[in-house]
Amino acid sequence: MTSTLDLAADGALTVSVRGVTHRYPGADGRALLALDGVDLDVRAGEFVSIVGPSGCGKSTLLRLVAGLIASQAGGIEVLGGTPGDAQRAHALGLVAQEPGLLPWRDVAANVRLPLDVTRTPDGARVNALLEQVGIADFAGYRPGALSGGMRQRVALARALVHRPRLLLMDEPFGALDELSREAMRVELLRIWEQERIAVLFVTHSVAEAVLLSDRVVVMSGRPGRVRAVIDVPLPRPRGEAQESSAAFIETAAAVRAALRAGDDGGAA
Amino acid sequence: MNGPAAEFSMPRSSWAAAVLPPVVALTAILALWEVYVRVRDVKDYLLPPPSAVFRALWDDPDRFASAAATSLTAALGGLVLASGIAFGLAVLAAHSRVLERAIYPPALLVKVTPIVALYPLLAIWFGFGIGPKVAIAALITFFPMLVNAIVGLRSVDPQALDAMRVLAASRWEIFRRLRFPSSLPYVFAALRISVPLSLVGAVVAEFLSGSSGMGQLILIANGAFDTASLFGAVFVLAALGVSLTALVGYVEGRVLDWHVSAGA
Repeated sequence: MTSTLDLAADGALTVSVRGVTHRYPGADGRALLALDGVDLDVRAGEFVSIVGPSGCGKSTLLRLVAGLIASQAGGIEVLGGTPGDAQRAHALGLVAQEPGLLPWRDVAANVRLPLDVTRTPDGARVNALLEQVGIADFAGYRPGALSGGMRQRVALARALVHRPRLLLMDEPFGALDELSREAMRVELLRIWEQERIAVLFVTHSVAEAVLLSDRVVVMSGRPGRVRAVIDVPLPRPRGEAQESSAAFIETAAAVRAALRAGDDGGAA
Repeated sequence: MNGPAAEFSMPRSSWAAAVLPPVVALTAILALWEVYVRVRDVKDYLLPPPSAVFRALWDDPDRFASAAATSLTAALGGLVLASGIAFGLAVLAAHSRVLERAIYPPALLVKVTPIVALYPLLAIWFGFGIGPKVAIAALITFFPMLVNAIVGLRSVDPQALDAMRVLAASRWEIFRRLRFPSSLPYVFAALRISVPLSLVGAVVAEFLSGSSGMGQLILIANGAFDTASLFGAVFVLAALGVSLTALVGYVEGRVLDWHVSAGA
């Protein structure tokens, strides 16, 4: 990939990861290999999921793209620059498993936080997002008074309020109960249809990855490698009804097979 | 708007439930004390009845009030000075492990040294006025604030920190919007410890200097076998300690209404 991508062009790469290898210092002094030669593309406006077993380095990969940990080997480009450049351009939004809200701010002020930090006040945008994620009625409440699902909606609105170009989601619904998870999936699909930004989505759930994504990246565990990249042929807009379609079932089976291939390989 | 805070605020009736038991208990203790002294005819210089203590306070309130004001000024002066310096150092320590390692051993040295032993030195440096009293109160309250503030400034929600870091937020932005508010529960915990300690420091310094304040008042009363005034001074100091702690608690409740400890 060249580093002179036209950011506005269709099909331009929002994320380009090439041969990224990452080690953590182990307890016994030997380095733990978390990622080994990982390649990954996310095109503009594309929804890409990463699935893999626990400890396969998918969160590490996401944090590298976010610029939250420094890359050691290989190339990471976000919107044609470094992850740091993307941070400074306020082009990134992040939703983690825990909402990470500020308990002293009410819901509206939590959503506003990125605008405060970047000194770009936009009350209309805050109100629009509160409506969009269905928490407008709770704007004056503190996070402590909300359910886990509601808090995660606030975190989602906060991640989108500054109009990022890339939304990074690290098991965002992992701590929610099943009903909240399903509601949030539908909600996220609806919002993504409207915002049309690139999403990199880390999850444990095969069904979640298939329902949401354009492509599913399947990773193997320890060290983390990309085992397969599977296209999802489901039409958009999507909804839960598609979970019973033949295409959904076939794609989910393909993702599961790719995940399982590693277990067999490990046993052989 | 009917916010969630309304659900958790104390109903008025439970205020009475909170205030009545200690008032009843204190009154009972004073009554038992009074009866015991009268029935057993205890000598006044050994244990005066509470009525004599209150009479001593009533007869010369100015003496107690001005002594209390002197001690309080020294105590709060030392507390504010030490808390300010300790918080400033904690900000440095919270941002750098190297600085933390540099700051901690000298601070620990201050903590483990019996501060009273420094009094002669402090008197040489600061004279016999308010100076050494403020210094003792400051030295005695410094460590709780330093340790609590370092922990508090470090106790930020990592997810909230990440959300700010992906926006390339500056250290100052992260400090004022995340670290500082996160540290406040710890800062108030430190104040609850150090407010009574600051009074101890001031009174001990007054014992040693004998120049003014509640410490001097107690020394003089003691020398004159005026045990009623001695108890009066103790009552006033206890009331000061309770009032200051309650004040800290009140401000804490107002500032930290978002915190899980609120309403507990």
